Amino acid sequence: MLPKPAENKQVSAYFVFYIISTMQIGVGILGFERYISRDAGNDAWISIILSGVSIHVLVWIIYQILKTGQHDIFTIHRNLFGKWIGGSLNFFFVLYMIMFGIITLRSFVEVIQVWMFPDMNTWYLSMIILVIVYLAVLGGFRVIVGLSLLSILYGLPLLLLKWFPLKQAHYYYLEPIMNHSLSDLFKASKTMTLNYLGFETLFFYFPFIKEANKSQKWAHLGVVFTVCIYLFTGLVSFVYFSKEQLSHTIWPTLSLWQTVDLPFIQRFEYFGLSIWLFVILPNICMHAWAASRGLKQLFSLKQKKGLVLVLLIIFIASLFLTDRQEVDMATTIVGKIGFYVVYLYIPFIYIYQLIQSKVRKKA
Amino acid sequence: MMNWFRNKSKPSSGKDELTLKELLSKCRASKDFISFEQSDVYTVSYYKSMVDTATVHRDVLPILNLDPSQSLDYLKKILPVESVLVTGDITKIQSRLLNGNILIQKPLTNKCLLVPAVSKEKRQITIPENEYTVLGPKESFVESLETNLNLLRKRLPIPELYVKELIVGRLTKTKVVVVYIEGIANEDIVNTAIDRISNIDIDQVIDTTYITQMIEDNNNSVFPQLIETERPDRVAGVLSEGKIAILCDGSPSAVTGPTTLVEFFSAFEDYFLTWHVASFFRLIRLFAVSFSVLSTPLYVAVLTFHFEMIPEDLLYTLISSRSGIPFPPIIEAIILELTIELLREAGSRLPSKVGQTIGIVGGIVIGTAAVDAGLTSNVLLIVVALAALASFTTPVYKMSNTIRLLRFPFLLSAQLLGLMGIAICFAFILVHLLKLKSFGSPYIGPVYPLRLRDLKDALFRLPFSQQTVRPFTVLSEKPVRFNHKHHAEKQPDKDIDE
Repeated sequence: MLPKPAENKQVSAYFVFYIISTMQIGVGILGFERYISRDAGNDAWISIILSGVSIHVLVWIIYQILKTGQHDIFTIHRNLFGKWIGGSLNFFFVLYMIMFGIITLRSFVEVIQVWMFPDMNTWYLSMIILVIVYLAVLGGFRVIVGLSLLSILYGLPLLLLKWFPLKQAHYYYLEPIMNHSLSDLFKASKTMTLNYLGFETLFFYFPFIKEANKSQKWAHLGVVFTVCIYLFTGLVSFVYFSKEQLSHTIWPTLSLWQTVDLPFIQRFEYFGLSIWLFVILPNICMHAWAASRGLKQLFSLKQKKGLVLVLLIIFIASLFLTDRQEVDMATTIVGKIGFYVVYLYIPFIYIYQLIQSKVRKKA
Repeated sequence: MMNWFRNKSKPSSGKDELTLKELLSKCRASKDFISFEQSDVYTVSYYKSMVDTATVHRDVLPILNLDPSQSLDYLKKILPVESVLVTGDITKIQSRLLNGNILIQKPLTNKCLLVPAVSKEKRQITIPENEYTVLGPKESFVESLETNLNLLRKRLPIPELYVKELIVGRLTKTKVVVVYIEGIANEDIVNTAIDRISNIDIDQVIDTTYITQMIEDNNNSVFPQLIETERPDRVAGVLSEGKIAILCDGSPSAVTGPTTLVEFFSAFEDYFLTWHVASFFRLIRLFAVSFSVLSTPLYVAVLTFHFEMIPEDLLYTLISSRSGIPFPPIIEAIILELTIELLREAGSRLPSKVGQTIGIVGGIVIGTAAVDAGLTSNVLLIVVALAALASFTTPVYKMSNTIRLLRFPFLLSAQLLGLMGIAICFAFILVHLLKLKSFGSPYIGPVYPLRLRDLKDALFRLPFSQQTVRPFTVLSEKPVRFNHKHHAEKQPDKDIDE
């Protein structure tokens, strides 16, 4: 069991807001509209909200688990399930984090390959980004939080650019409201969940928050913030593109950036994508950090060495995903795993923990 | 293992005790050491180069002639000089003798009398040259520690202004002082500084910059983590903010810390101007720095990879200026950047009058000739010249050097991956900055950890009435500077024409 981190390694409770929303915004936001409008069409924005509400419930459950356990998920697993079962669950969570690292990195590199450098090899950019990640994670959790904060500061101005597509928006695309069945909406919400994933990293950095029990409101605010951003991004796409156009547009946000018309710059998406590096960087850092911390817990491996191992795995795995189909498939699979983890496994631990604490009280 | 090596390589620090005789015979080997008998009893010896001869002739020698039979302790009482010492301790005798004391011996005693008569050769206080301001005080530090401390005490006449002295340098024995205001400066930071200075093991300390380089949190960073200044008013200002200053004898600059990145872009003159103007200048400087670092790399990135980004009309101008140029943009940019650096370096090495000529020759002749010869495009020439100009707006000399250096990694990464390369290079620097600390305080200051209160004196400089608290980075023991509201209550809100 790892000791609680020292106070100078911890961050204030309000940073949970930034961490949660940065972790939820990644490459997904560049192209989520197509998937949800496939099922829910012009009502897809309702699914964004529905899915967001369910995330609030999950964040609440996570806080219940963590407040009872008062430590990260690795320790809670051990305490609940014992050394072997708990250990293998921990190992699964390490793999889970690594998978998300791979997906985030590889889909970002893919976007860059499609939009900026079609001839660039995957290993080239992956390697450079992973070196930055390595240096950042060496600085510890505080550096990752700093990156999260700055990523929000850099990313927010990009939202202003939605002004240009809004000038040519067709608001009637949204009408008629609620012409899809509830099952369609739920299907779209299920797809939407993949984009909201990332909040479950709370499980790993909880002990690093000062007065962690009081940080819950910041976590909820963070989710609200993310939902607003997704909602705004989605709505702009839905009023700009028709359903037909949207089904052909893989990355609506990037296409919308193309409508930006400034006197000194055209093809704004080059600029936007470069800034996007700062949005995905804290995500990969957090995943690598959580995974290497898990390895430290499991095999008492030094976190520095564990980090190199994790980054090597991410690097090699990202090389095996060679084209768009494979990346898409991997994303779908990871999305499914994530879906079951958050909607089935998290409530399961919660209930298990409740039962166990009641049993213990009786005994 | 390492310790074993270190112990072995340590030269003996001269701890083996000399006798007084051996010491004096060592001293006599130098031509400027004088030793003579006075009134047949006393032996007077001193370094002529270190001693104020007026003191010797006026105060010391007449008293020795009065009554040759008196003891040294009696002499100590009647000598009209302060801090006279009677001692037999050889190390004390040696250091005092070398610092301009007169040694007086009497036969048949092993103690001797040390009379300070230091000759104070020093430069006059002049106006600050590197940090000149139009408004505000015009004094600057000189090479004498005493004068410098005098300049500080005049500005902060409070007993809480503490001066802690340490001796650094095996050969130079330089006096290094840590100055801070007790009760305002954070004790841990003061102790960190004192610890770091006393851990320095080096043979010579010529200037405060030596100390700076050895006590910075990360010696391998391109970013300076402590600010050096030659203005006593600036030092007094930061001391009352709760920071600490380090001065050293023989150096006309003081080091202050802990600092944040934004402080390097705030000129001290900002505080002498009205807050609107000062804030505007700070924003201009921020823009200038980003322009200076990013403009040439952006030129290279856009022209090498993303020429679609340039609007049609501008593209036409660029193409016509670049047509017929035999090099790719990166070569063109590197040649011009290096030329500018060459001019700057040549200009700063030459005497000022010749330096001006170099500037004119370089700037006008070489630039125009390069464009005429078709080696570079005139658009790039404008960009590079403006970038060089912008880099000089940084008020702290060390930081402007850093900014000029940073341009080159950005250039190379722009050549490798275009805009993405610039973003990657920026990410590297950002990660580095996030890790950097100055005396243990986070370097990127009010941005992360986010302290909205501190932003009042960061990117902007709001009026003094708003600056009621000390910056968070210094972790002051007494965060509140003054109570502005108390003053404001006395004046009720008046209506028009009341």
